[in-house]
Amino acid sequence: MSHSPVETTRIRVTDLSFSYRKRAVLRNIHVDFADSTITALVGPSGAGKSTFLTTLNGLWQTIPEARLTGQVLIRLEGAFQDIYADGFSVSRLRRRVGMVFQTPNPLPMSIFRNIAFPLKLAGESRRDVIEPSVEAALRRAYLWEEVKDRLGDNALTLSGGQQQRLCIARALVLEPQVLLLDEPTSSLDETAGRVIEELMVCLKDRLTLLVVSHYLEQVKRIADRVMAFSNGSIERGG
Amino acid sequence: MTTMKSADRIIILFSWSGALVLTGALSAILGYVIFKGAGTLDLKLFFGDTAPLDALTLKRQVFDGLFPAILGTLCLVVLSVILAVPLGLATGIYLAEYAGGFAKKVFNLFFDILAGVPSIVVGLFGFALAVFLHRHVSREIGPCLLVSSLALALLVLPYIIRTTQTALEGLPADIRLTALALGATRLQNIRHVLLPRSLSGIMTGVILAVGRCAEDTAVILLTGAVAAAGVPRSLLGHYEALPFYIYYISSQYANPEQLLTGYGAALVLLVICLGLFAVTFVIKRRLSYNALYRA
Repeated sequence: MSHSPVETTRIRVTDLSFSYRKRAVLRNIHVDFADSTITALVGPSGAGKSTFLTTLNGLWQTIPEARLTGQVLIRLEGAFQDIYADGFSVSRLRRRVGMVFQTPNPLPMSIFRNIAFPLKLAGESRRDVIEPSVEAALRRAYLWEEVKDRLGDNALTLSGGQQQRLCIARALVLEPQVLLLDEPTSSLDETAGRVIEELMVCLKDRLTLLVVSHYLEQVKRIADRVMAFSNGSIERGG
Repeated sequence: MTTMKSADRIIILFSWSGALVLTGALSAILGYVIFKGAGTLDLKLFFGDTAPLDALTLKRQVFDGLFPAILGTLCLVVLSVILAVPLGLATGIYLAEYAGGFAKKVFNLFFDILAGVPSIVVGLFGFALAVFLHRHVSREIGPCLLVSSLALALLVLPYIIRTTQTALEGLPADIRLTALALGATRLQNIRHVLLPRSLSGIMTGVILAVGRCAEDTAVILLTGAVAAAGVPRSLLGHYEALPFYIYYISSQYANPEQLLTGYGAALVLLVICLGLFAVTFVIKRRLSYNALYRA
């Protein structure tokens, strides 16, 4: 099946294979992801779900002795871009395809500086741009009301659930078009996990979300589509 | 079960013994130096017959006190660390973050060998360097403060390289990926996340380097330290240093009183080392705070 990506498609993956130290981790993956949807990636540990996420933002390139073949097209600013074409900036890609990890990883700096950090990396230094962006990102991550009076506090003083929302806000401040979440609730208690779930559902209006999850109930609650991985291939939902 | 308990007891006993022996040895050394040297601590030990104010303002030379050797030691340590830290830091970063496979193995082997080179050999290298510079660059250059600092920098370089490399390589994957996932370049990741997070380990290397520069005698013996040079006035001049003074007095003393000044000098050297460690510790804390909270 070969057709040009349609307007509602955000990501098109064609014949993607990935190997690490000559061991195949992903095999011939063909899949599209539509705009404004949540896709849950499920499957046993080692099936290739998390690795697949890293192929969508180029983070696999930090792994030594890793090799990727195939094509990934992502619609960024209205046009489809081949993210592995020569000259395509990996920094630009990662600003548009955000990622949140299993364990919250705020930097040991203030809440405000954590959120402002990606903007500074992108070269933004104007206070009048940074401040409203930080507030908007914290609001979108359901965190503003809880931290607005303590933005100067160390981010590590927040609870686990708050730290994870901070990490989501930090990814959102760059206004990405895709958000990859690798088991975002697995290190949190049920209540904190539910808040993150609500947040993901709310975010899908403006984003394409891919979520690795091991919780069947969670998948039922949030996912528009479920993709089951097995041994490096998509078993169902591709 | 009984065997396990006995093995546990032996290990605990061995650990406690190790800690006690080390603490005891250190206390004995410190106690002996303080016992012998504390009585000699007076203005005469530092400034001899020169008025302290004249000596401190460099109006008059001090010929029979420790003041020139203290200044010489401080200059030596600061210069050596200034030369070694940027180079060691850059090499450590290269090895941890950029060097791959073969290059990494070769450089690691090279720096391991460098770490094992006896200081007298490094001193000989410094002396040969001074002779080379004297013959081929300028007749003004010979064994001097600059050559000693270069040789000492070479001596301590492996400490800084290794601690930087180990600190960076020891960072967990989630920290390594945090900034990269936010669009940071490799250099931004090193500058804003990896280096600040490894600062504690890196500064441990700097502290070790400071201690080594302050105490090493073999290197300076061959590269420019002399017994009565006065305060250091130029990078290309001779200088005095406390370890050399201690070595010289303990091997050449004419009477027991002179030997006691050697203990006094040893005590002063210990206090200077402690002071330098404290300064390095304060810099470490200040840098950590600025790097992490004001980034």
